[in-house]
Amino acid sequence: MNSVDASEHYDLGTTDLAPSLLTIVFDTNPHAWAALNQSLPLSNAVANLLVFINAHLACNYANEIAVVASHSQKAAWLYPSQHDTPSITADRDGDVAMNGSTPAQTNKYRPFRIVEEQVTKNLKDLMDSTSSDDLRGNTSTMLAGALTLALSHINRRTIAWAEEHGGADLEDAAAEGGGSSGGPTSRAGRNSAANEDERLQSRILIVSVSGSSDSAHQYIPVMNGIFACQRLQIPIDVCKISGDAVFLQQACDATKGVYMALSEPRGFLQYLMMAFLPDQRSRRHLVLPTRVDVDFRAACFCHRRVVDIGYVCSICLSIFCEPPPNNECLTCGTILDIGDYGAKPALIPRKKKKKKRVNGTSAAGTPMSTPTPGP
Amino acid sequence: MAASTSRPLEYLEGLPGTTFYKLYQQPSTALAIFRRMLPDLAKCFVMALLYLKDPLPTADLELWVQSESKKQRDNAISILARLHILSKTRTGDNVLAYMVTNPFASSLRQALVGSEDSQSFGVFSQIPGESQVSIADLDDYARQQWEGVMGYMVGTSAFSGQRELNLSKGVKQLLQAGHLVEIRDRRVDITKDGFGFVLQDVNTQVWHILILYVESAEAIGMDSVEVLSFLFLLSSLELGQSYEKKHLTSNQLRTLADLADFGIVYQDTPEATRFYPTRLATTLTSDSSALNNPITGSLTGPAGEAGGSGSGFIIVETNYRLYAYTSSPLQISLISLFTNLKYRFPNLVTGKITRQSVRRAIEIGITAEQIISYLHSHAHPQLRKHNAGHATSNTGGIPPSVLPPTVTDQIRLWQLERDRLRATAGFLFKDFTSLAEYQAPCQYAAEIGVLVWKSDKKRMFFVTRHEQVAAFLRSRNQQ
Repeated sequence: MNSVDASEHYDLGTTDLAPSLLTIVFDTNPHAWAALNQSLPLSNAVANLLVFINAHLACNYANEIAVVASHSQKAAWLYPSQHDTPSITADRDGDVAMNGSTPAQTNKYRPFRIVEEQVTKNLKDLMDSTSSDDLRGNTSTMLAGALTLALSHINRRTIAWAEEHGGADLEDAAAEGGGSSGGPTSRAGRNSAANEDERLQSRILIVSVSGSSDSAHQYIPVMNGIFACQRLQIPIDVCKISGDAVFLQQACDATKGVYMALSEPRGFLQYLMMAFLPDQRSRRHLVLPTRVDVDFRAACFCHRRVVDIGYVCSICLSIFCEPPPNNECLTCGTILDIGDYGAKPALIPRKKKKKKRVNGTSAAGTPMSTPTPGP
Repeated sequence: MAASTSRPLEYLEGLPGTTFYKLYQQPSTALAIFRRMLPDLAKCFVMALLYLKDPLPTADLELWVQSESKKQRDNAISILARLHILSKTRTGDNVLAYMVTNPFASSLRQALVGSEDSQSFGVFSQIPGESQVSIADLDDYARQQWEGVMGYMVGTSAFSGQRELNLSKGVKQLLQAGHLVEIRDRRVDITKDGFGFVLQDVNTQVWHILILYVESAEAIGMDSVEVLSFLFLLSSLELGQSYEKKHLTSNQLRTLADLADFGIVYQDTPEATRFYPTRLATTLTSDSSALNNPITGSLTGPAGEAGGSGSGFIIVETNYRLYAYTSSPLQISLISLFTNLKYRFPNLVTGKITRQSVRRAIEIGITAEQIISYLHSHAHPQLRKHNAGHATSNTGGIPPSVLPPTVTDQIRLWQLERDRLRATAGFLFKDFTSLAEYQAPCQYAAEIGVLVWKSDKKRMFFVTRHEQVAAFLRSRNQQ
């Protein structure tokens, strides 16, 4: 009878492994791609990305994919298309419905082809709809919008998936997805520990080409997106082809994702296959490329400058690069009393005092209150 | 998952290397094997190596995996080697390195990129004007055929007054050849294997039948490679589409006709110019998780009432009572194999799992695991939701179980009352001259997960497969 113990059966239990949903945020900023044209033209990058998408779909029958373009003036869906979403993605077993055209090309696995066709078509539409005026006015990319789209898609799919599979994670997913105002973080942590393998495994991959100075003006929405991912335990992976975005390093660091800046853009596909393909389950077994020197700098709330040292509102923790006008916090409106901020803090030399040896009395334990430095 | 993958994997492993070489010529086969047979980590390795120009030194691969996951790594590499996907070579500076073998690598790349015109993924039928068969009809057909086969084995169609499906002779012969049924005095008797078979989930059943089919195909002179690659092709087709038959070889056409009897493919008439894959075919390479939800729900569940999310219809309570919302005679007779049924209502049967009923089942050759996996895969969505919800609140690392743990434990205990011996086929290594010589291969065997038993005192150990251990010993002797 001793051979029946808990550890044995749970090993044997056939736990179905949940599929994973990969959402790719693809930076299509025309300015940045034009600069990259020598080493990695956009067409090559898209082709590589499609092979990577196919590889992801090949890993599991039920794996899902979503692609969002973060363009210069807007964020747009590349796959699944928004217009005919119900007919293309809604099928719950992953079968893809036919859309009008029946091409005769049959040397390709059909789900692969559908993704490929839609992505290229939507990308072309997006490029065609971009006017030169749009480009002149704006050199950055709508990362915050794309990240939010990706998050809402993940949230929707997670809930739908949990519903279909009758898992208990339904309420949890809904509660967690309900917004950052939801339960305490410990709750999210506990749930995920118990049924990590049972819910849809989502992750976000940001393929970024724009520099950091451009995205600084979106600092607040991007950080909010990152914190939402952190709470939902969605890793954000960043594949940085050019430039070096400050906030994305923080994103990876906060969500335990993979950050990679490509030293050789031509090897884009190999980087994708090696570092970004493994899903959360496999990552537990792999040594991931990690970044040690994360740039934790923040952007100020007044001028969107990236600052090393700034002023922080003591009430709402907003960051400013210089004292706000009228000493009034721009975010919460608190009147702040700013002393002589330029002065060096007064250092009080430590008093030399002999330690009294009192045997086991409580007096030894109470620390002396250190005097506060005067203004 | 492990249970459902093992059988096709075992069969494939037994094939000679040249068969693999021929099999991997087809992109669809490479894709299906990649998707279905490999563990997660192995998939990562293959994909990482696929587009590398030079072989990856073994040391680098070892560095890539966390040191605690050595076992998983060795297991992944061992499966890859057994399926002839990964091979070891030496690079220019004589460093041992891994590479993906060639017909597999190029085929998988082709599947991903889709560059060459190989028609490996079927040819759409493009006859305009003809009415397409709807997905619902295909599901109906598949269910009817498959339940027919099951019903024939269990013998339900006789008493339930269900329309007797005329199963073809080939199907009956195949079931007999696979020792799933025996025919005595023109009466069909289900065997022990058969009982195990009917309790499995549909995906496993289909694979079981297909492997039997491939084995028997060899006996009647069909090329097993051709049949196998046709099966993998079927698995990559799309549901609800019709495909041209004229590109198929004669053997493949023959296979097609046989598969139609099982409901795996559908054709209007045997002479039709096109065929439709059913859900049984298109989900072949999916994990059981993708299958046991909406699809098999409509297949195994009561006819006409498919729908709703989740597929299960069985509720088990902690007091061993069982409620099954079904009126399918097949399901009822399956449940009655291990349950004392009490009441039967339209659309509901209730009963109790007792020591006696489980013992009765075990005596006719059903294992506790089979009963539990049957209950698990047909659990009512309400049961899933309820128990998973409870389990998350108290257990730490243990995955929540859908069935009440008291019941599953008790079923296992009832089995243990009878079984006290377990046989494992394998190989014994003995007569080592020194302790050190014994320890190294023994440790290696444990790492690759083939070690079953060892005795340090007698310097012996027992493994399930010996090839790699033997290779390990050889390489040590050379040093």
